[in-house]
Amino acid sequence: MRLTRFLLRRTAQGILVVWGVITLVFLLRFITPGSTIDFVAPLDASPELRQRLAEDLGLNKPIYVQYADYIVNLLQLDMGNSLLKGRPASDVIFARLPATLELAIAATIVAILFSIPLGVISATRRHQPVDYGATGFSLIGISTPNFWLGIMLILIVGVNLGWLPTSRRIIGFGPALELLVFEQRPVGLRVWFEHILLPSITLGTYFTALITRLTRNGMLEELGEAYVEVTRAKGLPETLVKYKHVLRNTMIPIITVLGLQMGTLIGGAVITESVFNWPGLGTLIIDAINSRDWPLIQGSLIVIGVGFVVINIVVDALYMYFNPQVTFE
Amino acid sequence: MSDDVILRVSDLSTRFFTTDGQVNAVESLSLEIKAGEVFGIVGESGSGKSVTARSLIRLIESPGRITEGSIEYRDADLADDLREDHPGAVDGEFVDLLAIPEQTHRGLRGTAFSMIFQDPESSFNPSLTVGEQIAEAVEVQRRASSNPRSTRARTRSSAYSLRSYAAAAVLPGRGYVSAESKDRAIELLQQVGIPDPEQRVDEYPHEYSGGMLQRAMVAQALAGEPDVLVADEPTTALDVTIQAQVLNLLREIQAETGMTILLITHNLGVIARMCDRVGVMYAGEIVERGSLGDVFDRPTHPYTQGLLGSIPDLDAAGGRLQPIGGNVPSLLDAEMGDRCYFADRCPKAMEECLHKPPDYPAAGTDDHEAKCYLADHPYDKSQALPEEYFEEGEGT
Repeated sequence: MRLTRFLLRRTAQGILVVWGVITLVFLLRFITPGSTIDFVAPLDASPELRQRLAEDLGLNKPIYVQYADYIVNLLQLDMGNSLLKGRPASDVIFARLPATLELAIAATIVAILFSIPLGVISATRRHQPVDYGATGFSLIGISTPNFWLGIMLILIVGVNLGWLPTSRRIIGFGPALELLVFEQRPVGLRVWFEHILLPSITLGTYFTALITRLTRNGMLEELGEAYVEVTRAKGLPETLVKYKHVLRNTMIPIITVLGLQMGTLIGGAVITESVFNWPGLGTLIIDAINSRDWPLIQGSLIVIGVGFVVINIVVDALYMYFNPQVTFE
Repeated sequence: MSDDVILRVSDLSTRFFTTDGQVNAVESLSLEIKAGEVFGIVGESGSGKSVTARSLIRLIESPGRITEGSIEYRDADLADDLREDHPGAVDGEFVDLLAIPEQTHRGLRGTAFSMIFQDPESSFNPSLTVGEQIAEAVEVQRRASSNPRSTRARTRSSAYSLRSYAAAAVLPGRGYVSAESKDRAIELLQQVGIPDPEQRVDEYPHEYSGGMLQRAMVAQALAGEPDVLVADEPTTALDVTIQAQVLNLLREIQAETGMTILLITHNLGVIARMCDRVGVMYAGEIVERGSLGDVFDRPTHPYTQGLLGSIPDLDAAGGRLQPIGGNVPSLLDAEMGDRCYFADRCPKAMEECLHKPPDYPAAGTDDHEAKCYLADHPYDKSQALPEEYFEEGEGT
């Protein structure tokens, strides 16, 4: 049908985009100063040792051969070995990916849960105390730096009140869920939740503030449209006027921004991850860049690229649901 | 046609409190509409026609407010229901629509009166199907009538909680609109002459043409079988050929159902074609009203005469069009004052007109009234305003 055809098209396009990402990421190594061998070989390595290392890593082959090799290996999900850790880069990345995804999704959920209701309330009670509170909150939220908010939360909620742990991710969501399902022990989920709460609030605050603003302004704009008066004139309950008609149309710009923000979050929230010692992709990439661990850098960038493409396809599919005028032909 | 009055508007004033000052969009407007007639309100842009229409269905948005007057609607059952709780709002069989609570009023929208709006393209939500939107209007009435016809039940049924909406979003078959309403929407589309209604019902507004959308809007307005249909410039946004079709449609429906139509337009041709009685509106007031024949053939108010004089007449060979000079006056309160607001543009203005607002003396037959000094006084040329007065006025 319409949706299936659209998804097939977009997947084909997405593959092309990912191929472009791979090519760029591959070329990046050749335009960056400094040879990889300098980082791998000991400082006092003999020219013969350096030669052997270059052969091992395939660095002495012509660039197009290296490129072809790289693509062929990638098709087998082989991103090469991490120079730093000596393990396959894909293993290292996929070990970190769940942490990043969990945090990104948790932050988005925090944002959606608070921002959309707040924006709606704010728009429907315009110029009332609630509205001033919400606009004030979003102003503060947008201007609060992440690292400061994270540290303050650690200090107050973690250290002074002692309610929540201050750092690390003891258990992933998957294992925690397994524990609950197979051993009926909810403790794993509780520990997971306690650890992810502060980072996701830290990461989600800016996000919440942004979407609150967007929802409020979008609602106010939509409320001025002629069809709103018509729906009221036919006696439709106000709940339906606001949610079924107005909010639905307001969702279109909100989804755009949600998609863009989530894409950014998949790239890893470096600052939040650092503050909370969260083992995500962001800190991994920083470490990899510092040590010129090319297979790891390239692999991470490709994973992020794929993430972006997937989110964009989802966003476009949602557009189609919310805005029937979009046809993608 | 019965002679019973169905809607009685007395001294209605709607004002807008803007940063530039108070705008008196509708000023002490009174009018009576009889059951089963087509009453036309005609006037220039900015004369307050649309605000009058919106006041009738109580959809005036901030910064506007209805400041005075009453809009009484005759419904004996409703009057009985409300007599106990809102004695102030009930007068015999009439209910003052401005004195009842918002919830009760919302229950009347659709059944007692519904409205057709000017621009069909922007009057439908672009992201829901036309059928869904018409079915909503049906559903509102279905839910209201599934309860005993009592105001309290009506109020409860028209309240729809956020929780039920959320449940409907998750669970299939729990939506607001029922299958019966959807079927009725197809019937309504058929009734207003939309081809292939079964297929069209699931299409979106952007897939309809302007004329079809206006038909769909008529269908939506008919969903609750309203007693009074308020049509605010129903043909203005349409091509001339489509205009005629929509007017014929309104005519047919009126003939079938006997409902009352309040037709608001700036187009004298539409009035002549459709209406039984007419009110001519100028600067927030009805300056002349009466039967179509009285007003169009024997206009008393110089403004009406001017309006009729500005229509091209193919039979009058070589005659020139006579436009009314000047513009609609500002409706800012500060600039109004006690006078005839048309005096600045009136070819027969006299000293008298600048000092006191005219009343409604009868002009000829009982039903025909004009708000003009001349209606019961002869024109006295010696009292006419000097030429300089108009020259000065043109600048403002």
